[in-house]
Amino acid sequence: MAESKDFITTRVLNAPRQLVWDAYSEEKHLLQWWGPAGVKMAKATLDFKSGGMFHYGMYAPDGSIMWGKLVFGEIVAPKKLVCTVSFSDENAGFSRHPLAPMWPLETLSVTTFEDMGAQTKVTVNWKAINCSEEEAALFDNSHDGMNYGMKGTFDQLNEYIKTLI
Amino acid sequence: MRRDVFQAIADPTRRKILNIVSHKALNLNSVAEQFKVSRPAISKHIKILTECGLIVVKQQGRERFCEAKLKKLNEVSDWVEQYRKFWDQKLDSLEIYLEKLQAKDKSSKKNKKHGRK
Repeated sequence: MAESKDFITTRVLNAPRQLVWDAYSEEKHLLQWWGPAGVKMAKATLDFKSGGMFHYGMYAPDGSIMWGKLVFGEIVAPKKLVCTVSFSDENAGFSRHPLAPMWPLETLSVTTFEDMGAQTKVTVNWKAINCSEEEAALFDNSHDGMNYGMKGTFDQLNEYIKTLI
Repeated sequence: MRRDVFQAIADPTRRKILNIVSHKALNLNSVAEQFKVSRPAISKHIKILTECGLIVVKQQGRERFCEAKLKKLNEVSDWVEQYRKFWDQKLDSLEIYLEKLQAKDKSSKKNKKHGRK
């Protein structure tokens, strides 16, 4: 099994670390922000512990449900959260993205929460895991897809995907 | 067999072919010369790339030239963009939620103070 290179996303949030942690770890908070604005959650269950899972479904505009799940690994409150992210189905199985069956099945995300007083620095370090060499190469290759001399002009596909999420 | 952009670039030889012809259109022989594998094997890859819409083969006189259609590859960069955006969008949403939550806390505290007066 192969894995891709790392991607890093960083954000400074205007909230103390404990509150940010609560927003991730408590169902009443998580359900309020996990879905994008205006998207109704069809179903969501959170079992916040190592080995536990967050399984959710969001309504797509056509009325179908897009399922996803996070499976939690190491949890160090309120500093670090490790989880795998994947598309899923109603029964919390694994699923490929309906539009890209070649795409890696799972990504591993390590999120760290840095205490900055009234603010919190959140860093998400993630990569595709448990994929074939081909999938990892595909992922990495498109990661630095600028190799091909094309910078992403957003086309219809992107618009379409937006409507799915 | 599936014929889309993901299938096209799943193979290292095909990725290399794309890189070669993305700079300028080349005839089939010039492409094949750059590989150790047989010409028929390269032709087969080019055929797949053609079917996936990433290469167009144009007849010019007695020669056939391969031209890359890179716009198709945007689909791939858009997919990566999509993955990259996953956490970005979650954090956007979290940011807004935390703001609301704290604004609500402040106003309810203010109200309590007010009530005591």
